[in-house]
Amino acid sequence: MTARALDRWLPPILGFGTLVVCVLIVEVLIRLNVVNRFIVPMPSQIAGAFERVILDEDIPHRFLVTMRESLWATALLALFGIGIGVLLYRVQLLRDATETWVAAMASAPTVLMYPLFLVIFGRSEKTIIMMGFVAGLPAVILKTIEGLAGTRRVLINVGRSFKLTEIQLFVKILFPAALPTIFVGLRLGMIFALINIVGVEFLINFGGLGQLINDLAERYDLPGTYAAICFVILVSVVFFFLTDRVEKWLRPVA
Amino acid sequence: MASVTRLADQAPRAGAAAPALVVDDIVKRFETPDGVVTAVDHISFDVAPGEFLAVIGPSGCGKSTLFNVIGGLMDGYEGRVAVAGETVKGPHAAIGMVFQEESTFPWRTVIENVAFPLEITGVAKAERIERARHFVDLVGLTGFERRYPAELSGGMRQRVAIARTLASEPKILLMDEPFGALDEQTRLLLGDKVLQIQDQLKQTCLLITHNITEAVQLADRVLVMTYRPGQVKRIVPIELTRPRSSEIVSSDAFGRYVAQIWGDLREEASRGMRDDEKNRGGKP
Amino acid sequence: MAETGRLSAPATQPFASPVTLVRVAIIVGILATWEAVAASGLLFQDVVPSLKVIGLAVVELLADPTYYFNLGVTAGEIGLAMLIGGLAGLVVGILLGSNRLLSRAFESYLYYLGPTPKIIFFPIMIMWFGVGPGSKVAMGVLSCFFPVALSAAAGMRTIDTVLIRVGRSFRASTWQMVTKIYLPAMRLPILNGVRLGLGVAIIGTLLAETKLSNKGVGFLIINAYSTFNMPRMYALLIVLFVLSIGVNALIGRLGGVGTIKR
Repeated sequence: MTARALDRWLPPILGFGTLVVCVLIVEVLIRLNVVNRFIVPMPSQIAGAFERVILDEDIPHRFLVTMRESLWATALLALFGIGIGVLLYRVQLLRDATETWVAAMASAPTVLMYPLFLVIFGRSEKTIIMMGFVAGLPAVILKTIEGLAGTRRVLINVGRSFKLTEIQLFVKILFPAALPTIFVGLRLGMIFALINIVGVEFLINFGGLGQLINDLAERYDLPGTYAAICFVILVSVVFFFLTDRVEKWLRPVA
Repeated sequence: MASVTRLADQAPRAGAAAPALVVDDIVKRFETPDGVVTAVDHISFDVAPGEFLAVIGPSGCGKSTLFNVIGGLMDGYEGRVAVAGETVKGPHAAIGMVFQEESTFPWRTVIENVAFPLEITGVAKAERIERARHFVDLVGLTGFERRYPAELSGGMRQRVAIARTLASEPKILLMDEPFGALDEQTRLLLGDKVLQIQDQLKQTCLLITHNITEAVQLADRVLVMTYRPGQVKRIVPIELTRPRSSEIVSSDAFGRYVAQIWGDLREEASRGMRDDEKNRGGKP
Repeated sequence: MAETGRLSAPATQPFASPVTLVRVAIIVGILATWEAVAASGLLFQDVVPSLKVIGLAVVELLADPTYYFNLGVTAGEIGLAMLIGGLAGLVVGILLGSNRLLSRAFESYLYYLGPTPKIIFFPIMIMWFGVGPGSKVAMGVLSCFFPVALSAAAGMRTIDTVLIRVGRSFRASTWQMVTKIYLPAMRLPILNGVRLGLGVAIIGTLLAETKLSNKGVGFLIINAYSTFNMPRMYALLIVLFVLSIGVNALIGRLGGVGTIKR
């Protein structure tokens, strides 16, 4: 094998190979009763559970439920997150006063408010959507401000030299220039929202995929639980990956 | 010491029609932590229609301040700027500005960039694309209409910026070191392009630069500024034949002009250097 | 917006800057609206208790010894989780960051598994570690491992290679390299990673407590919910937020980093 081919293929093989080896070791350990099969189901069992879970537990429908919740949260994030971000950018005083608050909110455990939201919105999709929205909001606001504020001075000067009105300046120069950064914020917001949506679904036992995991766990269907968790992780990873691609696609124009 | 020439004192040139641009006794001061700094100190000159005036000076002489004042992007100065008789009180439709830095809109294609001023004034889409195409051809970027600036070289992007400003059909083209970031060869060739365009459009141009070769290559007159506080040191008429091309840089007459201007400039530039050294040495 | 180049002259300070005034105004506005909603009985009475009731609940809470007991339990869980997860993250991160092959093989797994909902692993943690604090600590470890590892790996790559060569030229042992060169050079990225890790560890641990526990702050919150003791729930949430934002700011100060950057 040439050195270049080795260099290109060894890392992915090593990574994936290690994973496979670990799974095999677990399988062997369980079969040898070194590891209790009622605590860790055999990987082969988990693999078998996939089909059962997908068909019996109606994963496509649940997936759609979770997606619907996420879309609602995203719409709210786009509307309010970008809107508030623009507002704070335009009114410097407001921005100076509240930007650190927004940043603080970003690190605060807002999802812990879910019992409160349960009381206010009931055990419904509203609670889930709102929790996702609240989780993602600070990221969208902060990145929107960052994008607008980071517009290069010379582009603003070009607009001024062409006697653009304030509105024209914003619509035709500031906002397009800020769009890549704003999308980064929206993507972050969506990711946080999805994580919290699935988490809250699990916690309040309502909704789509998160609820499925809770359900299977309470039924002590171990292989099913593991399979469902794998599936959710897969969805999360794919979502993260796809939005990463979109972000990169937007970037070169900047 | 530099002589301060007021507009009234300048000898009227024969056959001068009403000037396209009048810069009358501009004084601009800044307050800095170290006190009041005078960037521009009683500068006056005019630019005739169709003329190419280059303003040259050492770094820190106030050239960019002058650029922003004339372009209407800066206020708080004494004196008056008038274009075609109207006093300038802010960015003026008759003044087109080309900036030193990268100024093309990265999210628009070349043709969309150039059509921008037409879009602002409400020209219909089909017509403004057509008109913009004319200016894209003028700067020699035919075929690149649909490309994005990121796909072009630095020199090409500056051409897009120039085309965009030309598309607004300004009476005066005001440029601040537009070729500063480019290498010498590209500079000379773009200089050729600018000369062609100016000849074709009979465009009045005011170029701010620190590059003597560029100034002599392109201008009808070169205004030499002193080091800060910036004043008019001398105005040198460049009597090289028109139409010109970059070949002229190798002629004797060209060399003499460059030498003459360098003679004026060197004094000012070394004052600038000494100032710089003093500032850097004086601070811990 | 014309440039005049003038710096604003330092005026004699009025008694409060405009920013402070705006902040006070916003806070007062929110509190006033809250009180109005509470008094109007628009929402079901107890969902929006009056400020006085909430204030009393906070005071009651802070005077309640069982609260401190539960706070201690939670703090202990989080602390242990940070210790285990932080160390593991550091080790893995340094390992990945120092070796290009390992990084290319494994780091993307960490990168893509990071932004996933960890709470869904809780049933597994319960199976493995029981219903006591063990499973909560495990959740905390799982949550904070990823940010710490990724920050450490990235941090390793930003270390000026010349520093590494200096260490090698003095034949420093691996332990010495780590403690005397890598860690000091990576102070900031690691601190940032720890900050992020703490944030998610708090969340992970507390969520686990709300799901299945009979101790800890999370338990108190869900208990307040199930007994419909709204004032208590508000009090718990308020105290929780103040504490976590405070701790976050403290760590930020430690690293000299004023704002939270992503």
